[in-house]
Amino acid sequence: MKNARRISQLIFFLFFLFLFFQARYPYEIHLPSDLFLRSSPLVGFITIISSRSFIQTVIPAFIILLLTIPLGRFFCGWICPLGTVIDINDSFIKRKKPKRSELENRRLRFLKFFILFAILTASIFSLQFIWLFDPIVLLTRVLTLTIYPVFVFLLTGFFDFAFKIGFLEDQVYSTYDFFQNTVLPIQRPEFFASMLVLLLFAGILVLGLVSKRFWCRNVCPLGALLGIFSKYRLTKRYVSESCTNCGKCRISCKMNAIEDDYTINNTVECIECAECVAVCPPKAVSYRFGKSTGANEIDFSRRRLIQSGIAGLSLLAVIKAAAKDKTQAGKAIRPPGAIPEDEFLDRCIRCQECVRICSSTGACLQPSVLESGWEGIWSPIAVASVGYCEFNCKLCGQVCPTGAIQNITLEKKQKLRMGTAYFDKSRCIPWYSQQDCLVCEEHCPLPDKAIKFDIREARTPDGSLRVVKFPYVDETLCIGCGICENKCPVVGKKGIFVTAANNERIEPA
Amino acid sequence: MERREFLKKSAATGLLISAADVLNYKLLAQEAPLDFVVIKNGSPAQLVRKAVEELGGMGKFVSKGQAVLLKPNIGWDRTPEQAANTNPEAVAEVVKMCLDAGAKRVRVLDRTCNQSRRCYQRSGIESAAKKAGAEVRHIVDSRFSEVNIPEGELLKSWPLYRDVLEFDVFINMPIAKHHTISGITLGFKNMMGIMGDDRGKIHKNFHTNIVDINTAIKPTLTIIDAYRILVRNGPTGGNLDDVEIPKVVIAGTDRVAIDAYAVTLFGKDAKDIEYIQNAHKRGLGQADLSRVKMKEIDLSA
Repeated sequence: MKNARRISQLIFFLFFLFLFFQARYPYEIHLPSDLFLRSSPLVGFITIISSRSFIQTVIPAFIILLLTIPLGRFFCGWICPLGTVIDINDSFIKRKKPKRSELENRRLRFLKFFILFAILTASIFSLQFIWLFDPIVLLTRVLTLTIYPVFVFLLTGFFDFAFKIGFLEDQVYSTYDFFQNTVLPIQRPEFFASMLVLLLFAGILVLGLVSKRFWCRNVCPLGALLGIFSKYRLTKRYVSESCTNCGKCRISCKMNAIEDDYTINNTVECIECAECVAVCPPKAVSYRFGKSTGANEIDFSRRRLIQSGIAGLSLLAVIKAAAKDKTQAGKAIRPPGAIPEDEFLDRCIRCQECVRICSSTGACLQPSVLESGWEGIWSPIAVASVGYCEFNCKLCGQVCPTGAIQNITLEKKQKLRMGTAYFDKSRCIPWYSQQDCLVCEEHCPLPDKAIKFDIREARTPDGSLRVVKFPYVDETLCIGCGICENKCPVVGKKGIFVTAANNERIEPA
Repeated sequence: MERREFLKKSAATGLLISAADVLNYKLLAQEAPLDFVVIKNGSPAQLVRKAVEELGGMGKFVSKGQAVLLKPNIGWDRTPEQAANTNPEAVAEVVKMCLDAGAKRVRVLDRTCNQSRRCYQRSGIESAAKKAGAEVRHIVDSRFSEVNIPEGELLKSWPLYRDVLEFDVFINMPIAKHHTISGITLGFKNMMGIMGDDRGKIHKNFHTNIVDINTAIKPTLTIIDAYRILVRNGPTGGNLDDVEIPKVVIAGTDRVAIDAYAVTLFGKDAKDIEYIQNAHKRGLGQADLSRVKMKEIDLSA
């Protein structure tokens, strides 16, 4: 059974990575790349509460939740890709035989319930905060913002070197082309958030030094949610009479779910990893169907429940009360198809699916820093100095697991205003130095160009007159895709820039 | 080799070369080659095939075993009907002709403005050229190398794509379309697709810069696809109302004359196009159409 679990973990982890790499142009597969995110009950549960709307895309999450009632926390032990990463990480950590006092130390176990109820309370009052804690989101994010860019950096570095040498050029190119068509983005993704996201993730792994699956035991609110639902599970850990009370099962237990009496385990904590089955010398342990005989107390008192509610509300109050920089807010250009801002923040779980798929086409989406306030940290914004929104692309809406970005038709998207472009006449070449330039107008993708010209004579520094095409934006046409800013040849601050002004949002379906 | 022998041999070679020049001159005088041809009213493939045949066949430009670089305009994520990129059927036909002439390889590439894979696919060029036997390549950033431009007035050097320097034959194959900077974009402007770095910079003083770049690289053959032309809102287009279908291909070796002719399709005069006049003055070709040897053929006639 332990081997079956390991194979399951491996398969689901590889499947997770496979789906991860599917989120790229042209995205023609029929499997949704955000399937794992949509299967996280925490994502499903909380986004529906915080947005007060039924989100169809997260139905798989409720299938998992329903299955948990009879089957227990199989998701944690057998599927969760973060759990698998933690298991692999834990396997590298050499541990001394734990002292009895350490095994009895379960003081932090309540924390995950505390976090869950704090998040739940906050979400009832419309502050969605699972983005910081959901394990699937955490893993997807660190992969997208840190590990993937490093992978790309190394791979493209290798190819740059190979192309410079020029040896076996045809073979090098075909290999390069293969990678370009499968895993490499259109340009090297670079994110400001990389370091912080990595530190958070590294913290989770470092906690493994304290105990096995420290995150899962004590912190993960998804585990807490599944634990509550698995209280009355129908899989029971059965210990036969051949048990010699050697205690090996208790030491091997990843979740420290086995009690002093080795025949009893905590069904809220047990993730059915079957380590205890494998480790038992007389093979006395097995898992069977039937009403569980384990202890099934949820390690959470009423007082703690109230405390966590207060914590959630305090967090909400602090975040909502914080100042919002209006200049920064102008830079928070949401992807095309984004729903109205408040609802957007309720739904956006900062998983970076949209950011990653965008990196394979226009590459404009970046996780925000503080452009959309504390509430919007790491939510996607279009940064035209990095990339631009491809006119014929709407992939971000196709991979959003919670419908924060709606999957709209291309026809609709091409008319949807993300923002509006403005000329900076103190920097734009024709305005600044009375010479034609027009790069912005050249690239403007609208069939009727949103950049028009005022053609007139201008006095040049030597006193002569010259006919110059002075560009201006027709704001009735501009959709704010940002290609003008992106391609503007002015060095430093560009001669044209896009802001979120006049942006149009889509009402959620 | 002894010095004496060397001198003798060089003298003999020199004589031979000058003799060949004289001979060549006579041949030229008998039948001066065409500077360019204009073929009208046919399918894109028919038009380019006829054009190359009239110029003496592809064998005149491509010898057996040579490597050919074909540079269409694949700049935009647009369909062939929108006339923002070179016609894919015409590109495929040129590929076939090169291979039939014995080319060892025909490589098709362009540095695109939109995402390259989108452009290669939607333009139809990737599939058509591959089917015809070409190797379709995407630009690799590390394959640009800085090239000196001795004749450059403003641009003294620029990174250019290495393939252009390494390949034996270079065929420039733009589409004729509207462009605000020069009125229209043709052969000269199409050369921007082999430029590295931030090429938008050259739009400032465009009419000098674009000639500078063209002094660095001379295409063996220029073929302008004017089967469909974009007459407004170029170079991207997008509205089919802005597309006209004159069904014309212009091909030849005098790139200035070719561009000068192509502007007439847009109801303009080369005299008013600054870069064409600059290129003429700097000796890159003949802008005065009354002084070129050309031929017009109407396939429907």
